[in-house]
Amino acid sequence: MTADHANTSHPTPHPTTPVGFNPVAGFAAIALPGLGHIVLGEHRRGVCIAIGVLGLVLTGLLVGGIDSVDRREDRVWFLGQALLGPVAFGIDYIHQNNFKAYDQDLLTRDPARALRSALPGEARGVNAEGLPVWRAAEPGDAKPSTKGVGRSNELGMLFVTIAGMLNLIVIIDAGFPGGRSVPDDEDKVGAKKSGKDDTP
Amino acid sequence: MINTLLAWRPIIAPLPMGHAASYLLLIPMALFISMAYRAVRLPTMTRYPRLVLLQAAQIIVAIAAIGIGLYVVVEVMLPIIAPMPD
Repeated sequence: MTADHANTSHPTPHPTTPVGFNPVAGFAAIALPGLGHIVLGEHRRGVCIAIGVLGLVLTGLLVGGIDSVDRREDRVWFLGQALLGPVAFGIDYIHQNNFKAYDQDLLTRDPARALRSALPGEARGVNAEGLPVWRAAEPGDAKPSTKGVGRSNELGMLFVTIAGMLNLIVIIDAGFPGGRSVPDDEDKVGAKKSGKDDTP
Repeated sequence: MINTLLAWRPIIAPLPMGHAASYLLLIPMALFISMAYRAVRLPTMTRYPRLVLLQAAQIIVAIAAIGIGLYVVVEVMLPIIAPMPD
């Protein structure tokens, strides 16, 4: 094998910018998708990340309903969704406290499983102890949230879980900035022309 | 279908969609994944829109190809390899 042949079969990798550690940006990325990159001064990158990750979350909630995020009943899915940070825990808090209620019969027999979504023909009420419970719906009652089932539920959970896993990449990238390939000549020329070079 | 959609309560209730329509959700999924992933990976954002669209198209084509491939295996090849007894 000649030296030239060896060079063409093993091209020199692009040099990369040094990797640093920025805990403030890392925590900001955990707080809200894209916020870490905005803290680093990469505003356009941060906004694009926020649109991508939060767009997945919103689409998942529209497709599967708020039941797409459920820490109690879909625990394995929530492991991935929890990577969204406060966004996922906030949605789950609202779901558990504002859309679920206790099954009056299960409260005494199996309290751990008593908190559930509504069954058809039920409405939210309050028992003597002030706990939200399900009771038979009467005319004029507000319709409770609908539990997602089948493909809608699967796709809703999948969208939010993918958003969580993508956010893990975003958090690592914000907490440890650098490590990207140094832009090639074409990128440098394009960046100078547009004046939008936001390479860290 | 229109009446069902008009009665839909966004986020409180799941989207009332048909089985076939659910495949269309691949498009926003690929687009949003590409937006977030490309924003993290690209050294500069100068070619961002073009590369986002390119990656989204690649995801859609690849998943469609996997779907077609699995359809051929299940519906065409398996009946030839192991036909159902009469």
